[in-house]
Amino acid sequence: MKRFLMLFILALAAFGAAFAQDVNKILAELDDLGDFGGKDFSAVYTIVSQKPGEKDSVTQVRMFRRDFKDQFTMVILLPEVNKGQGYLREEDNVWFYDPTSRKFSFSSIKENIQNSEAKNSDLTRQSLVEDYETVGVQDGMLGKFPVWIIQLKARTTDVSYERLTMHVRKDRTMLLKQEAYSVSGRLMRTTLFPKYVDLGGKLMPSQILIIDELNPGERSQLTMTEQSVSTLPDRVFTKAFIEQVNK
Amino acid sequence: MKTIANIAFRNLSRQKKRTFLLGGAIAFGVMIVTLINGFAGAFSANVSENFSHLLAGHVFISGAEKSGDNDVSVIRDDAALTAAVAESGIPVEYLTRRSEFSGTLIFEGMKIRTSVAGVELEKESYLQDRLMLKAGSWKAAADPRAIILSEKIAERLNVDVGDRMLVQMQTVTGQNNVGEFVLAGISYDTGIFGQMLSYAGMAYVNELLGLAPGEYQTMGIMLDSIKTTEGAANAIYAKLAASVSVFARGERDESGSMTPFQALIRQQNNEEWTGVKYRMFTINEILSQVEQIVTALDTAAGVILVVLFIIIMVGIANTFSMVMFERIREIGTMRAIGVQRSGVRSMFLFEALYLAVGGAVAGIAVALLVMAGLSLIDFGMNSPAFLILKNGHLSFFLPPLRALVNILIIALLTLLAVSRPAGAAARLEPAVALRTQK
Repeated sequence: MKRFLMLFILALAAFGAAFAQDVNKILAELDDLGDFGGKDFSAVYTIVSQKPGEKDSVTQVRMFRRDFKDQFTMVILLPEVNKGQGYLREEDNVWFYDPTSRKFSFSSIKENIQNSEAKNSDLTRQSLVEDYETVGVQDGMLGKFPVWIIQLKARTTDVSYERLTMHVRKDRTMLLKQEAYSVSGRLMRTTLFPKYVDLGGKLMPSQILIIDELNPGERSQLTMTEQSVSTLPDRVFTKAFIEQVNK
Repeated sequence: MKTIANIAFRNLSRQKKRTFLLGGAIAFGVMIVTLINGFAGAFSANVSENFSHLLAGHVFISGAEKSGDNDVSVIRDDAALTAAVAESGIPVEYLTRRSEFSGTLIFEGMKIRTSVAGVELEKESYLQDRLMLKAGSWKAAADPRAIILSEKIAERLNVDVGDRMLVQMQTVTGQNNVGEFVLAGISYDTGIFGQMLSYAGMAYVNELLGLAPGEYQTMGIMLDSIKTTEGAANAIYAKLAASVSVFARGERDESGSMTPFQALIRQQNNEEWTGVKYRMFTINEILSQVEQIVTALDTAAGVILVVLFIIIMVGIANTFSMVMFERIREIGTMRAIGVQRSGVRSMFLFEALYLAVGGAVAGIAVALLVMAGLSLIDFGMNSPAFLILKNGHLSFFLPPLRALVNILIIALLTLLAVSRPAGAAARLEPAVALRTQK
């Protein structure tokens, strides 16, 4: 009886290890999709934010990324009143530029973009494998697609959300839905990825819908256009570029 | 000279109505200026004292711990801090321990950003004395998730006592977190600072911030008097520096664009350290810009003094020109019986001096009476202007030197105004004066 129990536990452990490997592979694939490696990436994101009782607000940003150097530059194009503001990331430092005061101040990738539900980190490279550990996996369906429902817990406090639940399409590794939870375990926002585009062999979400679960009716829709993986000049990732870009 | 002074005094008493009006004008101007000076004199002390009660201390110690790329605001073990306070030998009324976050309160589609101070509600009994509740009770605040909101915030959220609301905030490391509070009480609105006044139990605030029980962010040291703040801070700092790692005290930026407290934070951002490093700051450093308000009030009082007295001086100069014309034969007679030109000039100047000093003293006396009357009015601790009040009453402090300077300025301006008609009277030829027909 003891031998059977031991065999069962060993089998369960082996299955768990193999399964964890599979999940890690899925997460690594997701990381790889959002990582342009040695290539640069640029795109224009249009963010339409809806809040109950308020007129829809439109924010447009031009994003430049150089993932292999952990750099990004983000320039605000709309609304007109904030035009010229920008963010610059150099390794671990994120700077915010205000053209009115012509000064740079410390910011964070955890900051929201303007008045929307989107955060700077939504448009930048993330490493799920490095930042999160898997705490649960199950099968499920999302609409007509069979999905892995993967529950993640943060390994570090550097990420915005302590827990994530990812709905990843089984037949082709694509993130379809992500739920983000607070440290206290409350669902804070749900992100849907209904549309993807193929860019240099990588699938990039071209439309993202972010739903604020704490404030019913508040949501933001991000649409990506003018995406490119052409090489960008080095000066794009400098403070001087942000200062001059809208002069 | 004594005779001339006596004649000048008699001249003033001969024209009681005119003297009363001129002196009254001076007294009125002095009264206004004295009231402003008196208000400014107490303004700084009142604001500092009231703020020290809001922030629960005159001297503050907070901890900053390097954690990866973040600076975490935390005091994990305060044994060294309490020992330093005890060893400094300064008289302390009580110590407070607080954690605080800035977050968004959400209730049925309404939301508002506010600061929530985590306080040891059961220990901070003085808070219950200072914070007057309009609704709810301190008994209900025993609920671990209780929150006390100001009237303004409660109104904007449309919440009532007993309602549950969400709070969206960030932990000390910047992660998103959500908590749930139950409204235990609504405090009276305190004007523009209303949004600062949200209090919750420290245990739950710590839990939301990601701090362990017993940890906190800021120690407040309430002294027996605000006047001893700087001396006490120096004494505690000396003891603290000997036992733990501390940041240099904040110094005022030379350009004046930063308070010492802001300078301290900027300096901290440029430093590298390991473990917890402590910073010390005082209520005076946080509120150093209040001094600028006091300076502005005093400057305004000075400008009002000058403008008022330019107007009054024009009136006095004209009046004394008429007085000279009225008394022209009298002046002629005085000159004819041997009074020198300087004597006539002195007589006019003495009259002006008596008017100025009498008016100024009367003005200050009336101002003191008005101050005493106003300070009797009880505006209550729930007044929107409570930060500038002392225990709910207006209070004034008139530095004696400032009163003397005001009297001196008025005396000089009055003498200046009268110098022209006095000179004209002195220059009169006796014969010409005697034959002048009015």
